Amino acid sequence: MARETLERPRFRHVGRPVDRIDATAKVTGQTVYGDDLRLPRLLHVKLVHAPVAHARIRRIGASKALAVPGVEAVLTAADLPPHRTNPDARAQVLLASDEVLFYGQPVAAVLARDPYTAAYARDLVEVEYEELPAVVDPLEAMRDDAPLARTGAIRDADRSEEQGHITVEAQQEQAQSHPSNVSSSITFRRGDVEAGFAEADAVVEGTWRSSMVHQSYIEPHVIIADYDASGELSIWSSTQAPFHVRHEVARTLGLPEARVRVTATEVGGGFGGKIYLYEPLVAALAMAVRRPVKLTMSRREDMLAATPAPQAVVQLKAGMKADGTLVALQARVIYDAGAFPGAPVLPGCLLIGGSYKCPNLDIQGFEVLTNKVSVGALRAPGAPHVAFALESAMDMLAQRLELDPLEVRLKNAVEKGDPLPSGQPYPAIGLKECLEAIARTDIWRERRRIRQHPHRGVGLAVGGWLGGLQPASATVGLNADGTINVTVGAADITGTNTSFAQIAAEELNLPLEMVSVVTGDTRTAPYAGMSAGSKTTYTVGRAVKLAAEDARQQILAIASQRLEVPAEELEMQDGVVRARGQPEKQVTFRELGRLTTGFGARYAPIVGRGAITARRQAPGFTAQVAEVEVDPDTGQVTVLRYAVAQDVGFAINPKSVEGQMQGGAAQGLGIALFEEMVYDEKGRLLNPNLLDYRLPTARDVPPIEAIIVEVPSEEGPYGARIVGEPSIVPGPAAVANAVADAVGARVFEAPLTPERVLRALGKLRD
Amino acid sequence: MPKRVITLTVNGETHEVAVEPWWTLLYTVREELGLTGSKEGCGTGDCGACSMLLDGRLVTSCIVLAVEADGCQVTTIEGLAQGGQLHPVQQAFVEKGAVQCGYCIPGMVMAAYDLLRRQPDPTLEEVRLALAGNLCRCTGYTKIYEAVLAAAERMRLEGARG
Repeated sequence: MARETLERPRFRHVGRPVDRIDATAKVTGQTVYGDDLRLPRLLHVKLVHAPVAHARIRRIGASKALAVPGVEAVLTAADLPPHRTNPDARAQVLLASDEVLFYGQPVAAVLARDPYTAAYARDLVEVEYEELPAVVDPLEAMRDDAPLARTGAIRDADRSEEQGHITVEAQQEQAQSHPSNVSSSITFRRGDVEAGFAEADAVVEGTWRSSMVHQSYIEPHVIIADYDASGELSIWSSTQAPFHVRHEVARTLGLPEARVRVTATEVGGGFGGKIYLYEPLVAALAMAVRRPVKLTMSRREDMLAATPAPQAVVQLKAGMKADGTLVALQARVIYDAGAFPGAPVLPGCLLIGGSYKCPNLDIQGFEVLTNKVSVGALRAPGAPHVAFALESAMDMLAQRLELDPLEVRLKNAVEKGDPLPSGQPYPAIGLKECLEAIARTDIWRERRRIRQHPHRGVGLAVGGWLGGLQPASATVGLNADGTINVTVGAADITGTNTSFAQIAAEELNLPLEMVSVVTGDTRTAPYAGMSAGSKTTYTVGRAVKLAAEDARQQILAIASQRLEVPAEELEMQDGVVRARGQPEKQVTFRELGRLTTGFGARYAPIVGRGAITARRQAPGFTAQVAEVEVDPDTGQVTVLRYAVAQDVGFAINPKSVEGQMQGGAAQGLGIALFEEMVYDEKGRLLNPNLLDYRLPTARDVPPIEAIIVEVPSEEGPYGARIVGEPSIVPGPAAVANAVADAVGARVFEAPLTPERVLRALGKLRD
Repeated sequence: MPKRVITLTVNGETHEVAVEPWWTLLYTVREELGLTGSKEGCGTGDCGACSMLLDGRLVTSCIVLAVEADGCQVTTIEGLAQGGQLHPVQQAFVEKGAVQCGYCIPGMVMAAYDLLRRQPDPTLEEVRLALAGNLCRCTGYTKIYEAVLAAAERMRLEGARG
């Protein structure tokens, strides 16, 4: 394991690789995921998905489905209990009632005793549609004469998913007054871009296209809801965001949040795609039938009707002086939101103009509605699309000016104090340090030798993410036997609870085994924001650290009274509090546990409390390098070696951090080479399965070298910064640059399929 | 159509189960026998999360009908650890950090277990080929390769010690 680390204090637990606390249960199959839960009287739901992209619903006939033995109910929008609907927010259109906006949109729900029966009856529900013109391509959708993707203008877009991933002070503008498929736009300008191009010695431009991709968590969405006779609603969901689900469900169904309990079941992969979607619908179904109801989506249903990541078109023009100084960037960034607003235009625009110092910027972003499934977040939402363009352009400029592509990036890389396009300055960041780390990798150092092979090449790219901000809280309690419980409200999807155990054990100077961490449900756990935007360790970790410090003070106060020694003269190790220099004066955590929990106990229980709000981001950058081989006859690209260097501030658990870097990098390779949701001209998804939608397999992904770079953040626990998201960003650009290096052909569309590579080589024509 | 009674021996225990003809082996093991360790990720045999051994052969149990498995021996992820002791493959997955969300892991562990029975000393390329039918979205596979190679080494050493 490579690690580029600044001087720092020695720690007992944090900063050391430890096994995940949940790993043993997972390797034995004992971990309970949503679909593994069993409730008495449970009904299974299958949704009727519209087979057309844009239509009016004329009639829904349920009699044949209802005649199937074992079917309990078939419900349409009209049959649901009263609830708030918002035609502009995907999750608040529980079932399409009038206008179908995308292929796969749910129009009715079949409830039956088992999933097979529900699926069988689902196919017997008769829906009559009046088809309307569908608009599928985002550029066509922007034309004045394009059919409208929906009747009615957008008034109340839901941008909470985006804000959970990236929290910055800039807002998208709502659509203009005349009817249009452009639902929002944003502009950032700095300096004089024309003057910048005039002083440039090289100018490159191009149009880069990225395909719609799916998060492809291996566990499809699972939601169970139960509404009991006392009026309490319980939801078990594979969500990354239990408190957000509670808020939205309560608001939609008109219930007090105090009467809604959301349990985040073990998340079988989320990557931003499991924030909040069908929870209000499943809860409404449970309220309608007064029985527990479960929706387990099939892979096909999940691909048709969850929230994948958007298609984007990025037009970019960039100018550089002969000495490698970037002087002008002009970009038009278009994201296809699908049928509801929520595309990551803001982060895309901030990052395309905020990765390098550049005095002259002109950046315009557009969010466009089409009749496709609406998009959601996927790990650094919007960032890979713009990095593909920007990092390709950086290589093109370096080549034109005969400069080293790594040196060019180092010369222009943003650092502390440099402004984002919004004007907000960066705090301490480690982009330069990541580039320096990549410069030392074997792949980069051997690139001249590699290039001698006729079809091999090396490509470099960088990327970053700013991160989300939300408040967080935690409690740390001392048990009667001296062990410690940490309670948090954040879903653990990346090993965060293991890191929290390390933090509590560090602060209390305990063996790790004495600490247990649990994620409670929304009725029992202290509040945490969504586990998204790479913020969980950065925010909840700080709360855990504070809570452990608070518990430590409470323990010392009681020990001080018992031992008649001032608290400042006490030390704490392995569950024993001792007077410094007087080893006979000691009290154990076990004794303190009894003194604070027993019958007639003398002292109140020890409950440490930590609550924080986070207002400053700790952006994470990464530099990555790929060695590829291109088959000139088939166009097939094989990744031979890959390395990722990422600034993580401080790696609390390097084992988990490396896993995040490698996992994100592999997802970047998927976007680069394989993944693409293919829609036909009528807006029908042609590949809703894992055979035709190609994910990277073990044959495709070489061992990925992970180099941890640590430039401490200003507020994160022990200097930790965001980790999860940045690693996905550079993949498409790194591969495209490596392909260009290998065979001299530049591909402007991801994924770089064999067909697109052959076309770039001039070996295929339309 | 009436249910049909089949006999399944799962992890050494024999069960008589009444199944519908359209039930998959995965559904039957999960819903009727309560062994929920094996997961459904795709339902089409493409992701490998439901991998189990059927008469010693690695199968994707989401595309095997329960009636096809009548009279067969089945090993699922629940059958690997013996006497509270993790199998070396499982132990290596824990130690190498090869587990993240964990949803693919039961199938991945079964595929690795199957490989090491056939090839106790695999190369990295053999490991990659053997696991190519098991999709993992979290790890980028790197730590999984390390785990399988480490497990192979440990099993060879334990085998040599007898």
